[in-house]
Amino acid sequence: MLEKKPERHYSDRPLECGECKKPIAVRYTEIVGNNIVDITMCSDCPELQRRLYGTSLKDYIQSQAGVGAALECGNCGTTLEEVKRGNRLGCSECYNVFADVLLNELQAAGRLTPRITAGRKGLPAHIGRAPGETIALNPSSRLLALDEALNETIKREDYEQAAWLRDQIKALTEKSDLPSQPPETDKGEGENESKRK
Amino acid sequence: MSQNENDCYSFLTVNNPWKHNPNAIWLGSTLTLNRNLEKFNFPGKLSSEKRKQIVSLLSTELIKHSSLKNPMLYKGENLTPLQKEFLVEHFLSHHSFHQAHIGEAFILEESGEFLAEINMKDHLNLSSIDLKEDLENVLSRLVNVEMSLNKYVNYSFSPQFGYLTADPTESGTGLIVTIYLHLLGLRVTERLDEAFKKYAEEGISHSGLQGDPNEMIGDIIAFKNLYTLGVTEENILSSIRSMATKLVVEEKVARNHLKQEHDNEVSELKDRVSRAYGILMHSYQIETIEALNAMSLLKFGLDIGWVNGITHETLNYLFFACRRAYLLCHFEEKMASENLSHKRSEYIHQILKPATLLI
Repeated sequence: MLEKKPERHYSDRPLECGECKKPIAVRYTEIVGNNIVDITMCSDCPELQRRLYGTSLKDYIQSQAGVGAALECGNCGTTLEEVKRGNRLGCSECYNVFADVLLNELQAAGRLTPRITAGRKGLPAHIGRAPGETIALNPSSRLLALDEALNETIKREDYEQAAWLRDQIKALTEKSDLPSQPPETDKGEGENESKRK
Repeated sequence: MSQNENDCYSFLTVNNPWKHNPNAIWLGSTLTLNRNLEKFNFPGKLSSEKRKQIVSLLSTELIKHSSLKNPMLYKGENLTPLQKEFLVEHFLSHHSFHQAHIGEAFILEESGEFLAEINMKDHLNLSSIDLKEDLENVLSRLVNVEMSLNKYVNYSFSPQFGYLTADPTESGTGLIVTIYLHLLGLRVTERLDEAFKKYAEEGISHSGLQGDPNEMIGDIIAFKNLYTLGVTEENILSSIRSMATKLVVEEKVARNHLKQEHDNEVSELKDRVSRAYGILMHSYQIETIEALNAMSLLKFGLDIGWVNGITHETLNYLFFACRRAYLLCHFEEKMASENLSHKRSEYIHQILKPATLLI
């Protein structure tokens, strides 16, 4: 008899922390008497702290945030606890209310660039475009990337790939009006070679 | 021009970009711009009435946007669960669309490359598929749509956090770029972990097709920018492009190496490619993951000359076409779930019929 499995689009293993929505880092199994509790959690889950060290979520948050564990957004009611769990924010005002907490959380999750982490006090953190601004993207970025890869392959003395990359660069420069040598690239050893095609 | 008795599968198959994708390694990319409107709570904390207002406001403008070709509005309540799943598969969405109902909507462009999600994660998530390694132009197009909407609505923005998104890890530029690379060679030569580590330090994360970083289904790896705040749009594109360009070269090196090493030998790798061929051509029923893993080997075999008779275009399309919603929509019929894996097998046999194994 062939087994009949229900068709599943996705595997049945959970991909997200059972408490928040971050990727799973820990599978936690607790056996008390005949009861087995199986939980999957992310690495910085407050729930994990609670299970491991017995501190309650509130204590954990208080220890992390100092006072103000009862803090919530006056506009949409999103609580600090929800923010800590990595839930979505409720409104723009949350960013004012929880500004410091958010920066801490982003930093803990490795989502802040080293630049911001180094100079945290020197806010604002945002350096991208603002509403209404047009976007100016370097039209030769593909060329820059190819050139960078070319320099690496030449350093490795992999001439077969270098030739392939040169062909790509050639095709690109012939196709467009872009300068044949991308501006301001790393001055690698292969640069002269790449100029010569 | 809005509503949608017309189902999104037939709409998107008019010009399905995935049918014409000849790429061997850099399979494609997706770019998403996330935006919220000022003065409204984010969708998760917004009443159904107000969400409907936003759908009406944004869709009216998007539908008549001059740079979108024949856009169609699909309201959440009018889409079947299967159609929602189809959209997730087609646009390689990182989240499910199943909760889309009254107050949520999608706008699709006829090209099958552009999707606007309204009130899903944020008020507006603009996404585009890119198959030509043309990240800059695709982003410029999304920004162009975003800017022209800005004449009618104001976006939530703060100088400190940039564009304010419901998920704070996407604030700042609100831009997520994902690049899909087929890296079987690097996996077989065990050099993937090294690459992951290196690029994680440069702010690029990786995962498999289902979002699990430890399960590389079909050896397709999705690389995504980790930083959205504190970087410019250009920084994001250039760092991920630079990574992808280097990885494509490394993958080519690995494939050449494997070809040289195994071409004239009795080898285990040849056995794996042959078995993959056997599974795809002769299975009676097959699950998606098994099919994708076998297709990965076949695609590799095609690239290094162990397989012929088919093209990367065919295999790339099959990567999509064998998935659940795509397949069900294709057959346009209700079928019992146990029949689906049989239908999948039949469909794969039919598509891969011209393929020949040369080893």
